Amino acid sequence: MLTGDVMTCALRELKQNPRRTLAVVSGYAITVAFLLVIAAVLLYSRVVQNITIGEAGTYFATWLPACGDIASLSEEDLAKLARGIVPEVCKSNCENCTGCNKKPIDLLNEGFIINTNTTRLLTVELAKKIGHLPTVRDASACLMFRFRDPEKSFVFAVAGLQPGSRAVSSTCCAADDLVAGDFAGGFTPGRMLVDAGFAMNHGLKPGMQFSIAGEQFTVAGTVNTMARTVKADVFMLFSEAERLINRRIHNPLAGEANIILIESRDAASHGQALKDVKVLMKGDSLLTSGCYYPAAKAAGLNTRLVHAFMLLVALATVLFSARIQWASVLERRRTIAILKAIGWKNQVVIQQLFVESLLQSLAGSLAGAVVGAALLLLLPVNALLGIDATMTGILDPVLFLLVLAFAVGSGCLTGLLPVIAVIRQRPVEALRRLPAS
Amino acid sequence: MALVKVDNLSRTFVTRGAETRVFSDVSFELETGELLLITGRSGAGKSTLLGILSGLDRASGGRVFFQDVELTALPLNELADLRAGRIGMIFQNFNLIPTWTASENVEAVLMHQGISKADRQARAAALLSDLGLGERLHHLPSELSVGQQQRVAVARTLVNEPVLILADEPTGDVDSETAAEITSLLMPRIRSGKTAMIVASHGLFDASLATRVACLKDGRLVMA
Repeated sequence: MLTGDVMTCALRELKQNPRRTLAVVSGYAITVAFLLVIAAVLLYSRVVQNITIGEAGTYFATWLPACGDIASLSEEDLAKLARGIVPEVCKSNCENCTGCNKKPIDLLNEGFIINTNTTRLLTVELAKKIGHLPTVRDASACLMFRFRDPEKSFVFAVAGLQPGSRAVSSTCCAADDLVAGDFAGGFTPGRMLVDAGFAMNHGLKPGMQFSIAGEQFTVAGTVNTMARTVKADVFMLFSEAERLINRRIHNPLAGEANIILIESRDAASHGQALKDVKVLMKGDSLLTSGCYYPAAKAAGLNTRLVHAFMLLVALATVLFSARIQWASVLERRRTIAILKAIGWKNQVVIQQLFVESLLQSLAGSLAGAVVGAALLLLLPVNALLGIDATMTGILDPVLFLLVLAFAVGSGCLTGLLPVIAVIRQRPVEALRRLPAS
Repeated sequence: MALVKVDNLSRTFVTRGAETRVFSDVSFELETGELLLITGRSGAGKSTLLGILSGLDRASGGRVFFQDVELTALPLNELADLRAGRIGMIFQNFNLIPTWTASENVEAVLMHQGISKADRQARAAALLSDLGLGERLHHLPSELSVGQQQRVAVARTLVNEPVLILADEPTGDVDSETAAEITSLLMPRIRSGKTAMIVASHGLFDASLATRVACLKDGRLVMA
């Protein structure tokens, strides 16, 4: 049991050896300050990298590719499809697909697509499920259908979107993409946005009319969506696209879409989000991965490397404290031998060494925390990291507490190491061999 | 009942596989009020014998009884208890803790025994004053003369009123005047019949003070 005498002796020992105490405490202070600065800067750089990479591409789209040529179905199955009955062969092939009975009327030219690939249909409900995944920030159902102009015979892609969704902005079409006209107006009934290239090809300008599936739409604006994941020629409200598509397929859509646009929670969870979505989608679903992987590679984001470096610094802290404690005990072997010779038990000596370690590591760690905080505030961290971001969260109290707890904990643990030496030391030998000071 | 009974004690060191016998077949008894002086040349094994008697060292053979308790069979903790309470040691080179004051060095023996700080300080101060160090209570050993340091060491030994004092060259490093001072401090306690003392010395201790004299020579203890 720890007695007042142990505390008294420990304090006296520390006070009466001010140089040694100062050396040990400053050792802890320097180590903790270093650990804190390194940890804070590494974690901060990771946050900044996440933001940067997040901007570059923590978004993607998922869809089920078309299951093949409808001609492969038997006459009987085709007859079922025409009546709205999904054949068994389709049910077993694609668990999430709902669209076998919603084939386009102009099967050769029209259909559900993503960019140039034909797709099956999914439920809007599935997009909501994906939106609730912890690794996903937002998910939005999208309808993309390739129409054929009956007069001029050209084909074009219409995207039906849910405006206001982050996932739509990052993967398909955002207000920043506007070239001319009114972006928000494009997502009102009877109006649409047109891709700038498509507009040039067909001489379209804001305010002009354009016919789709026999309906006239007003061009509200033109947009240049550049290298976004999901490309279309025309963008409009989801419900408007749904209405138009229903004119061109055998059976009307019922809460269905063919693409799900997704934005991950952040760069760190992006990889997991891709996996989670794949699990929910089942079957042979496809995912785009945006620019995440190349961006992550370029920025050198490697969580394991960061953790390994932190571990290395932490290990250095442990070794340093072990070295300090060991040296401290070796220096006092004779004193300890005298105390044992006059009747002090091993456990009393051990307790005192432990309390000394605790007090020194605590004092040193607190001082180190103050020095570390001051350094973090004074150092030009952004300049050192070569980044341009708002400095937020670098003085994380949780990190401070963790580093403090780690330093004090390792100080106490390594303080127990010399106990082995104390227990093994035979006072009679120490008194004989070691010179009196 | 003898205070100390030593029975066929032997000690052998093994260094790099080679055995070195320090002494063997050492037997004697000691009563309270006795002063046994063990003489012998340097390296004869006097300090080793005292080390075993105090429980700081282990014997290679034989047994030691202290107040009928077999010392050689006691665990380390109980041996520490004996040194803290009933066996006092005086070392040749004093073995004071250099960073502790005279008072703290004496108090050290009383620590961790449930004795209050005030009581410890009072007992240490009284004893040091008796030994003429009343003005030096808060001095570090380095601030004291050799004689004063030895008196602090004696005070540290006497503060727990031991029934057995083991003294290794208690007057070895001091001048004759200081040596006389030290013996004059110790002798009354022995003559009172409450304490016994074993002194190891290679000739610097006044043999006329001893009740008996023995010599460790060629690994044997021979009573004079």
